[in-house]
Amino acid sequence: MDAIRITNLVKKYGTKLAVEKLSLTVPKGTMFGFLGPNGSGKSTTIGCMTGLLDVTSGEIEILGQRMTPDNADIKRRIGVMPETLGLFEPLYAHEFLAFVARMFGLDEATTRARVTELLAALELTDSSKTLSEYSTGMRKRVAFAASVIHAPDVLFLDEPFESIDPAGVSLMKQWLRRFTEQGRTVFITSHVLETVERVCQEVAIVTQPGKLVWQGDIRALAHDGTVECNGRTFDALEPLFLHLTGERSADLKWL
Amino acid sequence: MNPVLIGHLVRLRYRLLWAKTRSRNGRIALFLAGYLLLVLLISLLASGGFGAALIAVRSGKAERVAQALLGALFLEGVLAANILGFGMSAVFADSELRRYPLNAQDRRFARHLTGILDPFWFLFLALELGLAIGLYGMGQGSFWFGFLGVLLLFVSNYLLARVVGQFIDQLMQRKGGAPILLLGIMLLGILPSVVGPSLGKKPELVAALMRPLRYTPPFGAAAAMIHPDAAGVYGLGIIAIWILGLGGLLVWLEKHPPRAHVAANVKVEWESAFERVGAWYGPRMAPLVAHWLRFYARNPRMRTLFLMAFPLLCFLTYQSGRKMGPHSLFIAALGTVPMGTFLGTSRFSVNQFGYVGGAFRRFFLFPVDAAATLRAASYAALTYGACAIPVALLAWVVLSPYPFDARMPVMLLCTGLTGLFVLNALGLWVTLYNPRKGNYNSNFGNDLSLGGNLVLIGGMMAAMLLPRLLYKFLPWVVEPRAWWTYLALPPLAIAFYAMSLRMAGPIFVSRREYLLAVVEGRL
Repeated sequence: MDAIRITNLVKKYGTKLAVEKLSLTVPKGTMFGFLGPNGSGKSTTIGCMTGLLDVTSGEIEILGQRMTPDNADIKRRIGVMPETLGLFEPLYAHEFLAFVARMFGLDEATTRARVTELLAALELTDSSKTLSEYSTGMRKRVAFAASVIHAPDVLFLDEPFESIDPAGVSLMKQWLRRFTEQGRTVFITSHVLETVERVCQEVAIVTQPGKLVWQGDIRALAHDGTVECNGRTFDALEPLFLHLTGERSADLKWL
Repeated sequence: MNPVLIGHLVRLRYRLLWAKTRSRNGRIALFLAGYLLLVLLISLLASGGFGAALIAVRSGKAERVAQALLGALFLEGVLAANILGFGMSAVFADSELRRYPLNAQDRRFARHLTGILDPFWFLFLALELGLAIGLYGMGQGSFWFGFLGVLLLFVSNYLLARVVGQFIDQLMQRKGGAPILLLGIMLLGILPSVVGPSLGKKPELVAALMRPLRYTPPFGAAAAMIHPDAAGVYGLGIIAIWILGLGGLLVWLEKHPPRAHVAANVKVEWESAFERVGAWYGPRMAPLVAHWLRFYARNPRMRTLFLMAFPLLCFLTYQSGRKMGPHSLFIAALGTVPMGTFLGTSRFSVNQFGYVGGAFRRFFLFPVDAAATLRAASYAALTYGACAIPVALLAWVVLSPYPFDARMPVMLLCTGLTGLFVLNALGLWVTLYNPRKGNYNSNFGNDLSLGGNLVLIGGMMAAMLLPRLLYKFLPWVVEPRAWWTYLALPPLAIAFYAMSLRMAGPIFVSRREYLLAVVEGRL
């Protein structure tokens, strides 16, 4: 069974097309990279997949069930780290994480244990600061902790690695690997192609407006191999990405 | 000094103002209409000032009238800027200006130039100029002296408003700052009505109080308008000294910004009062209600308003409880108690999601009915608002000048509950249809939408006027013997609230993309 199956997804904001007939499947137990230039509809697609946004047409299935904005059963089994992080700024990290855990139905003892462990592991033990006083990297760690606290089966991470220091990224990658080894699925959007190349097994690349231009297995790239696309061979994700999304150049003589 | 770049920044400030309206559907026309209205208002005010000048000259007390008018305007400018936030949010932050090639002095000048060139301050300038021109037209004083006096007064008024704003910010950062400020505001509100009548009977006291006022900017400007001689120069000199002093003080305050109170590591609490109160609403709603209770309680402005509501409403009851028969205070309290249940939480009740920013989307990721969060936020407001009722009733029983009559607290309880449910029901609709992105941490300023202001200010007006109207047209309704009629009000209000809550749920879910765009500042 596929963890995620999207069929002909269309999302419009008024008359503006944000996602155009997107169809893709994500096998269970995969670390899946969802890539595209800025404004190509990645976050919108995640919004549709997680029930935040209404789809204009098309169908989304998560873990074999149709995803609708009020499907609580699916929501219980997914974790989301939104691009905007979605933190309640006046709260302390432990308050925020405890709130999220309780909303996902964790009992009090489990909530306490998991919050304490997550805060310690992510080095968020400074309880004198509210979330608004945290640095961008620390805020991102809190949002990441909130997305995994209920041990979801499918994890959606919108640009998780940006602004986090190398040690934090390394820890997150380690967790995510173990996560997928247990048969769970991770759906990542990121602009850090080197990291995606190293952690993801499969990627999909979209261009504006949310149009799928390539989907394939990239495991070979992590072992000095190559991938083929449109009859060309690529030894890294970046040239493949630029080939598909269009390399831009502008010769500014004064710069 | 880099005047070209500073000029660009001032233009940018106005372009941003324009862009704000352009991004909203159909607001351009509204903005144009508003702009025309503003021009009309300025013209009206200028003629108002001119009219005041006519009165001043004809009364033979030109200088005294000019002093009173300029003094009132001066104070109003400072109060409106700091309490309502007019003309204060227009200023660029220093950090925003650091990206441009400006030195510290240029940045300060650019910031305050954009601040003083706000349309809000022009309203005051128009009135003051109207007065100066009127006085000159009536043959009192010199145009240039008056004009110069008004310009200097205008600058000093802005500077004083800024200094007061900085001082308030500094105060709010200190422990116990909010209650001190509250006390200050209360004194400011109550003193005139308490001291005013006594002053009327003691002219020597008035004269003693007036003497130091001669050294204030409004009196200096009045002297410059009326006396085109050494006295006028003296008046201008006084304002110039004030400008220098206020400018220096402002620079000093800005160089010594309030230091945020850094707490030591706080003890991690897993079970707080918020969780315990949240549990009253059942296990499904408990975490959400507890969250909202915490979110509200942590807001300094909500805490200040909540604390302020009680003394403010006592004062309003005392002030408006006149000329309504033997039970004047009681009749006034019938209106003020309901407002007491709403004033503290009003900012959140009418704009539940306006202060959560991007966290709004999280409510739709939880495996619960999304509308539950709307209900939970409203329950939190109800819970806080309801706390005011026993306090108000107890205060009534203890402080009331009337012999104890059990019917009175019953009636107050009924109007309190009615206000609580009706105003919070209206708040739900404003939350859905007229939300606005607000700043959770701002202590002053009016950041409510038009709908929010209508509910809050309209509610206040209704609270003040309705009992008076009832007394005038249906006097038996506000007498204790009509207590039984009040028993019907809370059930009706609760029914209205319950119906609103029920209807608002599906609307909330269907409008979530719009609400998200508003609270994230994209619309």
